[in-house]
Amino acid sequence: MGYFAESFTELYNADGWIDMGMYIGSGSSAPGWWTVIATIMLIGVLVKGNNDEQDHYK
Amino acid sequence: MEDQILALTAEVAAIKSAAQVTNTMFAEMYYYVTIPLMVLIHAGFLLYEMGATRVKNVLSSGMKNLLAFAFTIAAWYLFGWWFYWALPTWPLDFSAGAGYMEISGLEYANAIAWAWGDSAQYMGPNMADNASGVFWGAFALFAATTASICSGALIERIQTVGFVICAIVLGTAAWGIAAAWGWHADGWLVTKFGYHDFGAAGLVHAVAGFFALGVLMNLGPRVGKFNADGSANHLAGHNMPLTVTGLMLIIVGFFGFLMACIILPGEGWSWYADKGTTIYGTPMTLSALAFNIPLAAAGGIIGSWVITRDPFWMMSGCLAGIISVASGLDVYFGSTVIAVSLVAGMILKPCADWLEGLGIDDAVGAVTVHGTIGLFGLLVLGILGSGVPGLGAFAPEDTVAISFFGQLVGAVVMFLLGFVPGYVVSWIVDKAGMLRIPDAVQEKGLDAVKVPAQAYPESMVSAESDS
Repeated sequence: MGYFAESFTELYNADGWIDMGMYIGSGSSAPGWWTVIATIMLIGVLVKGNNDEQDHYK
Repeated sequence: MEDQILALTAEVAAIKSAAQVTNTMFAEMYYYVTIPLMVLIHAGFLLYEMGATRVKNVLSSGMKNLLAFAFTIAAWYLFGWWFYWALPTWPLDFSAGAGYMEISGLEYANAIAWAWGDSAQYMGPNMADNASGVFWGAFALFAATTASICSGALIERIQTVGFVICAIVLGTAAWGIAAAWGWHADGWLVTKFGYHDFGAAGLVHAVAGFFALGVLMNLGPRVGKFNADGSANHLAGHNMPLTVTGLMLIIVGFFGFLMACIILPGEGWSWYADKGTTIYGTPMTLSALAFNIPLAAAGGIIGSWVITRDPFWMMSGCLAGIISVASGLDVYFGSTVIAVSLVAGMILKPCADWLEGLGIDDAVGAVTVHGTIGLFGLLVLGILGSGVPGLGAFAPEDTVAISFFGQLVGAVVMFLLGFVPGYVVSWIVDKAGMLRIPDAVQEKGLDAVKVPAQAYPESMVSAESDS
């Protein structure tokens, strides 16, 4: 995790911003882990939602 | 003298740099604006669907629509975007290699469209990339639109989570693959058959409409829709003004939807430095849309009025008018648009009645408005637009032109891309017991059973509900 720079000055050159991700965790495995977490949360919501829904129909 | 030339050269370079920045920011802003405009499509579908629902089911219908929007967008981020970039040449190239334009294939998609690894840099904030986010956003709203189109047909008897699963498959795989094949310069329908579908009559509308048909066949009709002798009852929605206003909002959103189908000039991803084009690199201006969208809306309304005198069908005709010419909005003349959209408006209700006669309970006419009229539009362009070059000047020399045969192949493919996944996924969901709401619950009213709120707490109690 963490941010990749303390200053944006070093990231800027004469041609413009460097082509790279500028989010927290960029360049590390963090985006992948966040994607796994988000996916599991969404699937979990669907499973829980379906269980609740089936209870309503009983 | 030499100093002056050097100073002028530096000045010209600075002006060019400033002009490029302006162009880039304008392009980013242009596509960004299409996104909230397309959200209006969903506001419209929300009103449309809730208005077409009986009082006892209003909030349940709204909730289903909202969840389709939400889950489709999330799924488009997680894997739908990848389908679009990975599969333009597949299955003709079974290994899904890059096409002629070299902006497709597994390798390319893996490099830009996954939210992990190196490609994640194009799936989040990136100061040097003003394009990926706004393109992704526009495509995400296209995906959500397919889900919303399907949603209305299924109201008042489909389970929420079962529907969300169907919507995810439609908004990611079905629409993503349709767009890859027919809405990408490397798509095999485009390069091999000259398939032309500028405004997504087939890619979005037909796919979503026939996906809905596939689901409807497994879902069955609402309780009380059909009598024992097979005759149909009209289950009127509770609020026609809401429905008609919703349809008008959808039309507003269509301006953004179609605006997003133009490729602006002067960027690294543009076809030309100084000309706007379609997604196929063929000539296109916003003025073409300014002529043809209002004319198509007008033709559709008038055509439906002639046949029905019913405001619901007149506004559905408005949608149908636009969908009927969407494929060729870039090449149709205004008077042609009036003629085609008038016909679309006139055939709409008879087509919907025919479907109902087959025992299909399409609550809002989505299969007909989007599916049948979408295919009608593709074929009409095949007749009227035969011979128009299929791709822009940078295309391979053997690119074929628009033809009736190519549009027919495209129409069949779009039908199958909608219907087959719709039928299969809803069949699986049905076998899991997650598709149809039990009849007793339908009779009682869905809101009373599963929504902890009331649509109209102080008035409009449903005569049908025993809650």
